[in-house]
Amino acid sequence: MIHWLTEPFTLQFMQRALAASLIVGVVCSVLGCFVVLRAMAFLGDALAHAVLPGVAIAYLLGANILAGALVAALVVAAGIGLFSRRGAVKEDTAIGILFAAALALGVVLISTVRSYATDLTHILFGNVLGVSPGDLWLTGALAVGVLATILLLYKELLLASFDPVLAHTLGRRPELLRFVMLVLLALTVVVSLQTVGVGLVAAMLVTPAATAYLLTRRLSSMMALAAVIGAASSVTGLYVSYYLNVASGAAVVLTATAAFLVAFVAAPGRGVLARRAAMRRAA
Amino acid sequence: MSTDDCLSLENVTVAYRGRTALDAVTMAVPHGGQVAIVGPNGAGKSTLFKALVGLLPLRAGRIELRDRAPGTQAQPIAYVPQREEVDWTFPVTVSDVVMMGRYGRLGWLRRPRAADRELVADCLDELGMADFAGRPVGDLSGGQQQRVFLARALAQEPHVLLLDEPFSGVDVGAKEALLDILERLRRRGITVLVSTHDLQTASQRFELVALLNGRLIAYGPPPEVFTAEHIGTAFGGHALFLEGMMVIDECGTGEVAGGQHCRDHERDVGDA
Amino acid sequence: MTAPPARRRVTAPLLPMILALVAAAVLLAAAGCGAGSDSGDRGRLDVVAAESFLADIAQNVAGDRFTVRTLIPPGADPHAFEPAPKDLGEVAAADLVIVNGGGLEGPLLDTLTNVGGSATIVDASAGLKTRTPQPGEPPLGAGQIDPHFWLDPVAVQTYVANIRDAFVKADPSGAAAYAVNAAAYSAKLKQLDAWIKAQVAQIPAQDRTLVMNHASHGYFADRYGFQIVGTVLPGVGTADTPTARQLGDLTQAIRRSGAKAIFVEIDENPQLAEQIAAETGVRVVTDLLDHSLTAAGGVAPTYIAMMKYDTQRIVEAFR
Repeated sequence: MIHWLTEPFTLQFMQRALAASLIVGVVCSVLGCFVVLRAMAFLGDALAHAVLPGVAIAYLLGANILAGALVAALVVAAGIGLFSRRGAVKEDTAIGILFAAALALGVVLISTVRSYATDLTHILFGNVLGVSPGDLWLTGALAVGVLATILLLYKELLLASFDPVLAHTLGRRPELLRFVMLVLLALTVVVSLQTVGVGLVAAMLVTPAATAYLLTRRLSSMMALAAVIGAASSVTGLYVSYYLNVASGAAVVLTATAAFLVAFVAAPGRGVLARRAAMRRAA
Repeated sequence: MSTDDCLSLENVTVAYRGRTALDAVTMAVPHGGQVAIVGPNGAGKSTLFKALVGLLPLRAGRIELRDRAPGTQAQPIAYVPQREEVDWTFPVTVSDVVMMGRYGRLGWLRRPRAADRELVADCLDELGMADFAGRPVGDLSGGQQQRVFLARALAQEPHVLLLDEPFSGVDVGAKEALLDILERLRRRGITVLVSTHDLQTASQRFELVALLNGRLIAYGPPPEVFTAEHIGTAFGGHALFLEGMMVIDECGTGEVAGGQHCRDHERDVGDA
Repeated sequence: MTAPPARRRVTAPLLPMILALVAAAVLLAAAGCGAGSDSGDRGRLDVVAAESFLADIAQNVAGDRFTVRTLIPPGADPHAFEPAPKDLGEVAAADLVIVNGGGLEGPLLDTLTNVGGSATIVDASAGLKTRTPQPGEPPLGAGQIDPHFWLDPVAVQTYVANIRDAFVKADPSGAAAYAVNAAAYSAKLKQLDAWIKAQVAQIPAQDRTLVMNHASHGYFADRYGFQIVGTVLPGVGTADTPTARQLGDLTQAIRRSGAKAIFVEIDENPQLAEQIAAETGVRVVTDLLDHSLTAAGGVAPTYIAMMKYDTQRIVEAFR
């Protein structure tokens, strides 16, 4: 039994894959609580796809891919913040436009590079087995930065999310905090590129947080629970991918989704079963 | 403004959605005063409150609060909104919400301290919500939610309290409880401005009334404000003068359905 | 209310205009498809080869009768090449398009077939016997074969024959020249085969294990007595990503076999190979050249030069 648990992680690259997956699982889930509560899921997905031109330009310049992704994500985050403040188009529209444009720009740039075709697959779906020690350090540092910011600004972010009007009257500047959140989202997307890739990072942002939402009724415990669920999904997903011989990033996402489905059905008070029982009692 | 005044407005003009919502409003509220703000839908009542807290910019004029301009940090004006403007499914408890009132006093990076938690507990107690401290806000009834927001406003330790339509959609018992609280606040020296459609309560229970309709039509004790001339100016065709009787076609006062109807009107007209 | 009548007046002529535009576009496209080009004078052929090594081989058969053009530029991956519209224009204008075949071009082959024009597709590897993967090598997908025939110079002699026959059929007036050129080149290929055998003989037989980035050297291994212990990417193409289990199995296979190096081609991403190398302590050789030539001044401007360079890099790794 012990051997079964330890066998995949005798390999160093698997150890790094585990570390990266844990980091991503925790960071995405914690920030994901705000994403879920503020209905920013589409925005998260858009930011993820928007890193493509940054990655392509990094290739062309021979620079670090993660650095390119970071720059692109920050630029698009700023752009979305800018567009949605002017109010000429709805934010939903602004996001759709920017995200598709960035994606198209990325594809065009990558098509000029003409080598490393596999890497497009890696960017889209993750390359958790390819995490180098340097990558792991960068990922860890970014994750620490994001979590520390959330911790320090917790009450301001809570206030701006729950009641922007009060935030405004108390001088807590909800627009600025929204921009901070966009930057945190951009950093989190870059952190997650390695393990689940651009196509699946939205799932890691939303699913564990949504699961936690069904199980608790306070934001602080929602974040803690989401982190645990995110971490557990990542670890379990890695084991599943090893023993069933399937892609790792996708396995992590499917595990998180399975957890959500269980909570959706069985959560005390808010799950489907509990609600049916309550209706029957009331009848 | 005189040393007795807590709040003074001079020539305040506010634009909202491209049109002038308030024009040249000038009034002064004494320390500890209780003012009812009345007027038809779209009169600018909520706009006035939003300008007072700094949510809307002034196109002209000045607001003074004992030498301090509104909108600065730790400002002593607390605003209790109408109920729908918050996400009730958000995972916060009652005491979490009330604690938010303290954030203005805490710095950006500070955590709430024991003194803050005590104050929050006191505010909840004052409004009879102490037993609900740990409950998620989504579990509360309408009246209870309103009391939570009032507790939050008190937690700000304000000098001035603005209540936006607190009597809409509550029953008589809740209304009386609320008026009790307002009386206690008056004794503590907190200045209160209340906007309402309930002209009966405004004239009977408030020492000062401000009648608005895009501008300040009348301001003073109820008998001076509620004259046929002023009401006619403010309510226009909505007011009907019959022999010895004045009828105003307003949303029903004090009824749940009427309250909602009022709010729907205000949303349409833009007086949000 | 005057608005509705005004709207009706405006939309009425607009709708037929749009329909006319769409119809014109469709007609233009259909006409464009039909317009191939004739090759002008019959003395020269307009030939495009998909891969650069194919172009070189074909050029040797063509001699100085015409110049063979290349579709896939040096450095690009033929397993996953996406042509630009201009490239396809050149293909449509050609008389012959020479492809490696065997699935190397992947969906590009369909694109080339559908491009229209009067080009005939020449399958250079037609008639060659395919190999089955040995134990330890990644299995083939359903309906898949290993297309890397060209890394075996003896197989390339079949390429030469197929290309010569295609040239003769398209340009009978040059039959004699093509035959002479083909024979001369085949002789060179035989010399290349002998040379490689001599180089490889420097490696003791029991040490001849190869770990490749993808399953590219199957025919090379068969011809020269190597055993392929495993590959980083689990297939004959470059599109598959290995799972954790596959990388783990590869690590164990490398340790068991005592392989000394993982070989990655110059334009492939060595990241995963480096992960395995760090795990097992073997080298990563990152400058093999086997899917394309270099530019004229580079180390491998011709097929024969490419094979010699490739062989040298492999043999050096074993010293």
